[in-house]
Amino acid sequence: MLGRLRMDVDMAIKHYNTLAKHVFSNPKRWQGEGKFKATRLEEAMKAVVREATGDPDSLLLEHDETPRCRT
Amino acid sequence: MNAYNMDANIPVLFRTYESRETHSNCKIWEAARATSAAPTFFKHIKIGRAQPYIDGGLGRNNPSRVVLDEANSLFGARHIGCLVSIGSGHAETIGIKKSRGLRQIVATDIFDTLKAITTDCEATHEAMLGLFAKLPTTYFRLNVEHGMQEIKVSEWERLGNVEAHTAQYTRDLKKSL
Repeated sequence: MLGRLRMDVDMAIKHYNTLAKHVFSNPKRWQGEGKFKATRLEEAMKAVVREATGDPDSLLLEHDETPRCRT
Repeated sequence: MNAYNMDANIPVLFRTYESRETHSNCKIWEAARATSAAPTFFKHIKIGRAQPYIDGGLGRNNPSRVVLDEANSLFGARHIGCLVSIGSGHAETIGIKKSRGLRQIVATDIFDTLKAITTDCEATHEAMLGLFAKLPTTYFRLNVEHGMQEIKVSEWERLGNVEAHTAQYTRDLKKSL
């Protein structure tokens, strides 16, 4: 969030809180590989990316050559 | 960001910039998923050529050395201005309580490995201290040492407690300066 999505600290904390609530408030009833649902984590991550970039499927690689924070 | 390729058991870096070793064109959420696939929390993820990834926590919980190597390969042997390493609190924060229900399902060696993260993390920190011993204002490690042991990663409703412990830690730091 601080790196590729270029959020400030307050914004990152706000989004992390929403994401953690979405993911961790709903543990799997049957624990297979992992205690929490990866699908909920993916949903929450895509929502954060969509809000920051406009597209939930934005690519990690940035082609912008201007010197910026690299992560 | 740093995750493990499970098959080859080698760390993979997810980069937002071009490099000689740029990873296959993955999406932001895929990289985020791969780097948070901590065993016992979430299942692994497959990206691109169907390589399964798990979070780099096991063995690479403190990526300081990886960052130094990366900086060296990107910029050459240039003088390092500053390296700030931020821990996630006392190492038990990232651990999981040995609940009986969970133990029956997850192999006990995972718990042993999670315990080993603490040691691994601190060992890297010690190595960094040694490396930067002659450059006293270059390497900094910030890690909330007290109060975080009881807070589990999944306890989202306790973010306020995390904030309070962190505030106390920074106040103590300022006093010690």
